[in-house]
Amino acid sequence: MSGFTGTGTLTRFILRRDRIRLSVWTLALAGTTAATVPVLDDMFSTVEERQGRAALMDTPTGIVFGGPGYGLDDYTLGPMMVNEMTMTLLIAMAVMSILHVIRHTRAEEESGRAELLRANVLGGGAPMASALLTITLVNLLIGGTIALTLIGFDLAAADSLAYGLGLALGGITFGAIAAVCAQVSGHARTASGLAFLAVGLLFMLRVVGDMAESGGNLLSWLSPFAWGQQAQPFHDLRWVPLALYGLVIVALVVAAHLLSGRRDLGAGLVAARPGPEGAGRLLRGVTTLQLHQQRGSIIVWTLAVLLFAVSFGTLAVEVEGMFETNPDLQAVFGTGVDDVIGGFLSFVTSYVIMGAAAFGALSVLRLRAEENSGRTELVLATAVGRVAWLGSALVVAALSTLFVVVAGGLGLGLGAAAVLKDGAWVGRLLEAVLAQLPAALVFGALAALVLGAAPRLTGLLWLWLGYSILATVMGGLLEFPEWAMNLSAFEILPRLPVEDFEPLHYVLYAGAVLLLGALSLVGFRNRDLATA
Amino acid sequence: MTAPVIDARGVDKYFGRFQALDKLDLTVGTGQVAGFLGPNGSGKSTTIRVLLGLLRADSGSVRLLGGDPWKEAVTLHRRLAYVPGDVSLWSNLTGGQAIDLLGRLRGGLDARRRKDFLERFELDPTKKARTYSKGNRQKVALVAALASDAELLILDEPTSGLDPLMEAVFTECVREVKEEGRTVLLSSHILSEVEKLCDTVTIIRQGRAVESGTLDDLRHLTRSTVHAEVEGDPAPLSSLPGVHDPETDGRRISFSVDHEHLGPVLSEVTSLGVRSLVSNPPSLEELFMRHYGDETAAPDGGTEGGERR
Repeated sequence: MSGFTGTGTLTRFILRRDRIRLSVWTLALAGTTAATVPVLDDMFSTVEERQGRAALMDTPTGIVFGGPGYGLDDYTLGPMMVNEMTMTLLIAMAVMSILHVIRHTRAEEESGRAELLRANVLGGGAPMASALLTITLVNLLIGGTIALTLIGFDLAAADSLAYGLGLALGGITFGAIAAVCAQVSGHARTASGLAFLAVGLLFMLRVVGDMAESGGNLLSWLSPFAWGQQAQPFHDLRWVPLALYGLVIVALVVAAHLLSGRRDLGAGLVAARPGPEGAGRLLRGVTTLQLHQQRGSIIVWTLAVLLFAVSFGTLAVEVEGMFETNPDLQAVFGTGVDDVIGGFLSFVTSYVIMGAAAFGALSVLRLRAEENSGRTELVLATAVGRVAWLGSALVVAALSTLFVVVAGGLGLGLGAAAVLKDGAWVGRLLEAVLAQLPAALVFGALAALVLGAAPRLTGLLWLWLGYSILATVMGGLLEFPEWAMNLSAFEILPRLPVEDFEPLHYVLYAGAVLLLGALSLVGFRNRDLATA
Repeated sequence: MTAPVIDARGVDKYFGRFQALDKLDLTVGTGQVAGFLGPNGSGKSTTIRVLLGLLRADSGSVRLLGGDPWKEAVTLHRRLAYVPGDVSLWSNLTGGQAIDLLGRLRGGLDARRRKDFLERFELDPTKKARTYSKGNRQKVALVAALASDAELLILDEPTSGLDPLMEAVFTECVREVKEEGRTVLLSSHILSEVEKLCDTVTIIRQGRAVESGTLDDLRHLTRSTVHAEVEGDPAPLSSLPGVHDPETDGRRISFSVDHEHLGPVLSEVTSLGVRSLVSNPPSLEELFMRHYGDETAAPDGGTEGGERR
């Protein structure tokens, strides 16, 4: 079919263009696995240690980030791998696949580069086909490497292959979801936002299903996050669930292709409408301009975090139920049911803070695109000073980060209060997230400093955010030493209500955030503007 | 005459090791329309960004409206309006919203003028900026600048995306602005535009101002072309001082002549008995080509290209 002419050339071009990006993803994911397996093997060397760990995986937090819990009764290296690593790997591969597909389809169209290519001998379906082809290759490479690693540690070959294939197919599924999202909106940011929203919803679907019933119920089976583990590698291997990936991928790709055939290059399915003839009374200064520009992402992030928080808050009732029926759990957590629920919810507050931190950093870094595109130049050539410009962006970013944090705390609290019929949880969890506010703000402040003083160092910011998330999520499992844990921005302040508030740490942390912000303003005042 | 609106002297600007501006001088007097000519990459936009305080000069002195553009950017910017060469707008704002916003950020916009210019540039202000072509984005910035009450307009290749009809509208608008006594710095590589509009011209090459003055001044620096048909033998004219590239064809002769020798040479021509005489002053294109036409020409005598038709 001539619609795909040039797919081969474009595929090679994508591999050439992204050779470093894709290599880093592959090495990071395969490397994390290769590093984790011996740690798991070493850490839980006796049967008692392994079964103790298995009991922990049967807790609510364990189910959220572990899975349906196949193989917990004989918790050897294989089941350990499947329960402890799958969600982290799947989420990472989903993020990678979404970013890759959007980057090579909608973002290319938005920038106008696709027009340049399409004017050559290139079929209309080629860009999407080559984006999906490359992401399939990379996912299979990662899944294959992980499978080989497991075989290398003397695990059953068929189960290892099924596990690696499940991960790869999961990643490809999210690439296909992104391909559909890329057809709907004319903007790469909206398209990737939609795809990430799908990641969140599908993840929650599996969590709710797995919580409700041991081994998961129908809700879990609706989510691609579940199928890889439902194949039960290293427990009772069955290949059928993996076929679901194949069906869904084919359906999504066909849908994306049909949608893309119905629209013009560069256009979304939702057409642009004419807008107001002049600016309203509100749009009169830089702060309102920043607010206007970020309105969409503030709403989307707040809703996403709120949704996440409410659903996790309601899981508190499952925690309560488990605690009452599971004597092992009482042994692990000790005394009261409130402590167990508090422990679970306070751990979830970290996720709210992580989300808000990523949002804050993105909100500030948006200014970089503003500057590179020449819009900052247009504004600074009017009677707007540099401090006012960056300052207004920082105020908007800080306030909207606070907004997201409060939405998260409120969501958790309302969810928990509703199911536990105890209104005190609202106040407790609001307090808990606000007690970690500086950790949510520090990445925005750091982004500002990078922007103001050294725009080339943006990578370091993401490195620290990535490390902080890894340490907080996986650090306990990987037995990070205390100093390594303390390098995480999310481990500096205590988690309420389980731990006690420390005013001095809070004030120092907040002071550091303010100092970073102030330094960024000085830096921005004294540097040349980047020119288009 | 009062202090110049723009007064840049000996400005150097480096980007890493690359020298973008090399002892650049640029002066624009009040009420003048100053042309700033040079091809892509010669440093026009860099100069303008230094004037706007977006970039800091590495050395030299820059005065704009009597102030320091780096330190007093905000107060100075109230008195000027800027149209960048490549206008990028907020994709979810309409053209009308962007015009109002830019006007308000500067400190006010004349609603009547805004309406007038929107009509003249045939710009639909209800369209979202993401649907505008390059020319339409440029019109948005132009309307915002022209509808302001700024004393100084800084326009960086403002017509590069406009069609010929709109270019004519633009020319008309700049003439009106000049009549109102405002000052305009117009960077361009379209020579006819500069020739039509500008009182003074600065030609920039590799970050250095190689020529500047009024168009008349510049013309004096170079040669006029003369085509004549005479009664007598035109051959002796070829050997007169200041005459270059003579070509004779029977009683016809054409040559170019240095400006300072034009008078004596023309008297010699008339003494031979003139049948017809055409003398053209050099066009701006010739001035320009003198500096750019032959990159290998020696700095003092690089006259090739300019004379040949």
